[in-house]
Amino acid sequence: MATRNVELSVGRNPEMGVGGLPTASPLAPFDIPEPAFDTEEMLINIGPQHPATHGVLRLVCELDGETVLSVTPHIGYLHSSFEKLGEYRTWNQIVPLTDRMDYLAPLIYNCAYVMSVEKLMGIQVTERCKIVRVLCMEMDRIFGHLLWLGTTAIDVGAFTPFLYAFQQREKIYKLHEALTGARITTSATRVGGMMADLPPGWIEGLTKFLDEFPKTLNEVDRLLTGNQIHIGRTQGVGAISAADAINCGLTGPNLRAAGVPYDVRKDRPYYDYETYDFEVPVGEHGDCYDRYLCRMEEMRQSVRILRQAIARLPGGPINVDDPNISLPSKTDCMSDMESMIHHFKLITEGIKAPEGDCYLAVEGSKGELGMYVVAEEGSTKPVRWRVRPPSFVNLSTIEKLAKGHLVSDLIMINASLDIVLGEIDR
Amino acid sequence: MANNPSSSALDAVELGPLPSEIRVRGAVTSAAAPSDHPSVAALVTRFGAGIVRHRVSAGDQTVVWVDPKQSLEILTWLKNDASQLYDMMSDVTGVDYGGASVDVVYQMFSTTHKRALRVRCELPANALEIDSVVGLWKSADWLEREVFDLFGVKFRGHPDLRRILMPDDYAEGNPLRKDFPLRGRFSRAEQTRRALEQDVERFYTATDLKHGGTPQQVTAGGKPAEGVD
Amino acid sequence: MGLGDILPGGGVQKSQGGLFGPGSPTFLTTKLDFVLNWGRANSLWPMPFGTACCAIEMMAAAASNYDLARFGMERMSFSPRQADVLICAGRVPYKLAPVLRRIWDQMPQPKWCVSMGACASSGGVFDVYSMVQGIDTIVPVDVYVPGCPPRPEGLIYGLMMIQEKIRQESLGKHFEHRAEDPATVARPEASEPEIVGLTGPFGNSTQQDQLSGGAVEAGGPGEVRPRKS
Repeated sequence: MATRNVELSVGRNPEMGVGGLPTASPLAPFDIPEPAFDTEEMLINIGPQHPATHGVLRLVCELDGETVLSVTPHIGYLHSSFEKLGEYRTWNQIVPLTDRMDYLAPLIYNCAYVMSVEKLMGIQVTERCKIVRVLCMEMDRIFGHLLWLGTTAIDVGAFTPFLYAFQQREKIYKLHEALTGARITTSATRVGGMMADLPPGWIEGLTKFLDEFPKTLNEVDRLLTGNQIHIGRTQGVGAISAADAINCGLTGPNLRAAGVPYDVRKDRPYYDYETYDFEVPVGEHGDCYDRYLCRMEEMRQSVRILRQAIARLPGGPINVDDPNISLPSKTDCMSDMESMIHHFKLITEGIKAPEGDCYLAVEGSKGELGMYVVAEEGSTKPVRWRVRPPSFVNLSTIEKLAKGHLVSDLIMINASLDIVLGEIDR
Repeated sequence: MANNPSSSALDAVELGPLPSEIRVRGAVTSAAAPSDHPSVAALVTRFGAGIVRHRVSAGDQTVVWVDPKQSLEILTWLKNDASQLYDMMSDVTGVDYGGASVDVVYQMFSTTHKRALRVRCELPANALEIDSVVGLWKSADWLEREVFDLFGVKFRGHPDLRRILMPDDYAEGNPLRKDFPLRGRFSRAEQTRRALEQDVERFYTATDLKHGGTPQQVTAGGKPAEGVD
Repeated sequence: MGLGDILPGGGVQKSQGGLFGPGSPTFLTTKLDFVLNWGRANSLWPMPFGTACCAIEMMAAAASNYDLARFGMERMSFSPRQADVLICAGRVPYKLAPVLRRIWDQMPQPKWCVSMGACASSGGVFDVYSMVQGIDTIVPVDVYVPGCPPRPEGLIYGLMMIQEKIRQESLGKHFEHRAEDPATVARPEASEPEIVGLTGPFGNSTQQDQLSGGAVEAGGPGEVRPRKS
């Protein structure tokens, strides 16, 4: 996506309206004296319970007329103390907490967390496990972007994409459910492998989804990409330069829309992402419209990655063959003394970690998702489990992005950042 | 856990995170440990005693402990020097081991050289103060506020050092410190009472918006909040 | 199914054209309670107080596959003043507690509350310093939907239970069920005695009733009132 192929010719030129017609009235040049009213800035509170804040975000805006002078986000309305709770849980018990953090793309969080713990412990997962996790992560990237697409479209007044997106999301819900038994709170990964191998027919189900999904995506594309209203609401709104975007810590599609080709999958590759054939879409204007285009293109690229991953999915075991890490099978557990002891030790004590700390970043659906775990020698619980929250850092730029725009643009800017409050507040 | 006389799993939760049996911290660490990370060698030659120690963790991740007094100087150099150019501050966070110190951890990445580096500063628990890096990386703004909120580390020169996740008048302390109990210091009834007594419109004041200059002192109803030290 | 098919007592003389067609009766007799409850139950406007994972399932319930509109809940009312059912979906931290309370107070009578999911009902896995241990300590709850998160079917079943509950209500007992002190409706904050009542030893959940709007008036901590049926 080197150049933007859709340009609204009239743009934001104040003298020209939609369709290129002049909006400035010919009477305007006459000298109309400034009314002698006292003016003052107005404070407007949006949230914490507001449909357009995508959660329990609270924005306090200072307005001059309809122009935003400053906006102060207040967060913490969903602070669930995940990180404190993690210090009281063994390594595997933390997995269920991770998907409650970002409930829009839960499997990415499951995978990122165990990948970080595995790196800390020096565990090499099996080849099948790697590919299965790639499948999970790319599927949930689509899952997360779809929800973003639906809710953002509602914010600019289009309800149809929401229904289209949720139809496709229902299909991924079903895949989640077949794989893990839950629709959102998947908790699918374990240190050293997965909770369970892929169920029979799952790959066929995913392939079927991949066949049908681009059709819907193209439909939404037709609804929004060339839509004059959508273009008018997004082009030139909330723009940020590449250098500023890096300095402000933007990551993910928000950063790439500003023209920085930073993708963790390419720049700090994990799970052989460098061997997959996919493009990283990069925008050039850094505005809401480019963020939209980047996400749309990323979904297409995820479909490509998924197809390649399905093609190279090998057989073999999914969990590492180490009794100190992976649980033995139930059959072994009931019939074999040694397996039972291992089972007992793993359940009651947990996996022992070496001393050290590990920061592992993956490309989440919102941006760079970092998992930082700190352990002491032999500890079965983390000393510190820290999540580097992509949307937390992304949201902190809203003050800069929204300054000078209208209040209605603020809603669009907030939506285009793709935030999830569960992860911002943790 | 074996020598812990807890009788049920619930007791263990009450006791909090227990120290593991073997408690060796930084044993494999020494300033002389070889590291092929180009930034480490440059840092040691340039700053000498400012680099306390460094090590390789989790296989290939380089960690450098720096002197908190020189942290701003070192981080400025890491960001601006042409051979380093760590232009992306991914994360600022804290780690409390339950001992006499709290670590502030910086995760940095250079988009030019495609290199990551982790810098840690050990702060004594009785003087949790360090220079803010908001002037260098804007991304550190909220991240430092979060460390202030949850660990009580003060960042000198931060433009708007307020609590970010907990309410402004939160009086129970800094939740992520090891001496903070999981369920908080007050009873559930007291916590509910304080919650319902919050003024939900508190942040409407313009003074709250016009931050800048000196860090705002957190107050509740005019009096300085307890627990915010 | 028209009204004529479900009216109790056979108050309608059925004709060829049905209830509203040509040749239909110009009057019908039924119980006022029945008509009122029929109308109320089938045109509920939910106020979605969605915070976390459960909110996504609530959205799924409203989207095309599950289609909450089939139950007369076509319009999600994001304004509490025009809503009948508060669906509290997701975790509620103490920082959000006064907001929830205020939204409940802003809703006009008659109103009902669904607590969706484990976190809203009991705190769920989050038995921690920042989390309300069940929203029934703050507002009266009519239906608890279990699950983490509940499936959309679960939420729909919970809402159908609300409808069932509405059908049992009687106008004759209206003032027992629904009367409120005008001074306390839609007030900005809960009053001091109310907060004291809410934060009693067992919280609000053992003491709530519809008359008090969720709070026990005057009763100080320690006093457990008999539960109203």
